[in-house]
Amino acid sequence: MLCAFIHEATQFNPHGHPGAQLADLARRIFQVEAAAIFDADLHEVYRSGEWFDDVKEVLQNICLFGTATDDRETGLIRRVLQMGKLPIGAMLLRGETSVIVANSIASIIAITFDRYHAFANESRTENARQAEQLRTTVLDSLAHAYKTPLTVIEAASSGLAAMGGLTPTQAGLVSLVDEQAKQLSQLTSRLLTTARLEASDLIPKIEAVAIAPLIDDVMASLREQLSGFSVRVVLPNDDVALCCDRSLLVALLTQYLDNAGKYADFGTTIMIQVVEESNAIVFSVRSIGSTIPAGDYERIFDRYYRSSASASIAAGTGVGLSIAKRAAQAHGGNVWVASDAKEGTTFYASLPRLPKGVASP
Amino acid sequence: MSNPPGTSPIKVLLVDDEPAIRRALRDTLNELGFSTTETSRGEEALLIAQTKAFDVVLLDINMPGIGGMKTLLRLRALAPSVPILMLTVRDDEEDKIQALEGGADDYITKPFSLRECVARIRSAVRRARTPERAEDAPLSIGEIQVLPARRLVSKSGQPVHLTRKEYDILYYLMTHAGRAVTYGKLLTAVWGSEYHKELDYLRTFVRQLRKKIEDDPSNPKYLLTDAYVGYRFAENPFASDATLEPSSLRRTE
Repeated sequence: MLCAFIHEATQFNPHGHPGAQLADLARRIFQVEAAAIFDADLHEVYRSGEWFDDVKEVLQNICLFGTATDDRETGLIRRVLQMGKLPIGAMLLRGETSVIVANSIASIIAITFDRYHAFANESRTENARQAEQLRTTVLDSLAHAYKTPLTVIEAASSGLAAMGGLTPTQAGLVSLVDEQAKQLSQLTSRLLTTARLEASDLIPKIEAVAIAPLIDDVMASLREQLSGFSVRVVLPNDDVALCCDRSLLVALLTQYLDNAGKYADFGTTIMIQVVEESNAIVFSVRSIGSTIPAGDYERIFDRYYRSSASASIAAGTGVGLSIAKRAAQAHGGNVWVASDAKEGTTFYASLPRLPKGVASP
Repeated sequence: MSNPPGTSPIKVLLVDDEPAIRRALRDTLNELGFSTTETSRGEEALLIAQTKAFDVVLLDINMPGIGGMKTLLRLRALAPSVPILMLTVRDDEEDKIQALEGGADDYITKPFSLRECVARIRSAVRRARTPERAEDAPLSIGEIQVLPARRLVSKSGQPVHLTRKEYDILYYLMTHAGRAVTYGKLLTAVWGSEYHKELDYLRTFVRQLRKKIEDDPSNPKYLLTDAYVGYRFAENPFASDATLEPSSLRRTE
């Protein structure tokens, strides 16, 4: 009988929950009056045959208190379903069967449950991976779909300007088209970056990153935005390095620097500083220009929030700084800002030397 | 805008699968005195290039069919000396590097301004038409002079003392002025192919070199970083208009 039970239990479709089928199977093969099984993980009861109303409560108690008893008077056989020492459910049979057989039935059910949960987890992970892949594909095609018309608009408007022969008004209008197309293109890039970072599980790809050249790259990529400023870089030493996700750190610093380029007074100095602390490296970008009211220090990092002080000065979507925050948090780090008219506005990001999830060597 | 008398128009082969991009480029380039031939497919570009000579090719990197990269490699084999400029999008740094290492002369990031595009086309054509210089011929860009025969470098007439490797980097970049040189290419040229990936090594030397040749090393005028791709030695560091560097573009307020 046990062999038949094992044989049939292993034939179940691993994608469906085996509880109801196991209850029916136990009842049929061992010829008991009724069988009920409790899956603690899902908090579900599967029954076969006639059962009293509070059978779920009884099963929960068996699982909780580890009651494994056979009651001759009522004919109730109680067993805890265990994987190793861990209770994963309970079984209740009404009828006659030996202690050993009851123990074996409980073990087989426990193994079948475990097998089902392993499959379910695997397909959940697979589903998440597929969803993530879909998101990336959608975002990439969206990026492509936006870039094409923007490229055409910019090529055409700058082409008109290059051909010459326009009246001053026409030239003004053409440069307006040009300027706005550029802005739309920047907004698109930024929104797409945020959307990518919004992915449910942002897992940083940790590698050793040399900071000085990375700052060079970020500055070079923002040459246009920073052209009206002098930028000073202060490093503890030329070889400072950090274990972190390169692209996230790039996104963070790009955001801070781009922000400084927008809100700093033209011709002032923007200072990028890197400070080594015992457990973290603190990056900061200081600019002189419009200040942020103290009441906005926290909220300015929230998505879509734009400080009242900023709204009137520069175009923005209010997503940029949320990128910086998310990038820092993904490393187990944090961001903050300090701002006053005398010292200027400084955005900070502290990233731990050993990001979360990385074991020390 | 017509061509200077006695010169023929620059012949451009335009390869992009987006009809609107081709149209915008074709109309504006023709109006500016270029002569354009266009196609939407790499396969067709290869056929055209077999029967017709071009001064420059604008080649989109993302296209259906054999795509931009394969087209690049086959075009290179077909016409080794024709400059090929790749049209790419931002965030595709890996593509840019691959294209440059696969023989592209330069890349233009979409969306681009026509002025930048024209400047890059002209610069690539000029370089291709310049007769090959003798290895020992003196080099001079802005205030920097190099006498390769004696490995001497000076800035505004003042000698600049460089280490052997610093000199090699400077010489390589100056002989490729105006072109994006990937980190890998520069490492291979100066140290050998086994050093292809020693990025930090290269960056240390470049930092030292900048301290010696730049007025403000954190805001270089000569030895520019091409973000996430490599370096580019400015062809004309003090040009006020139509230079190749995005920094020369108007700041939009």
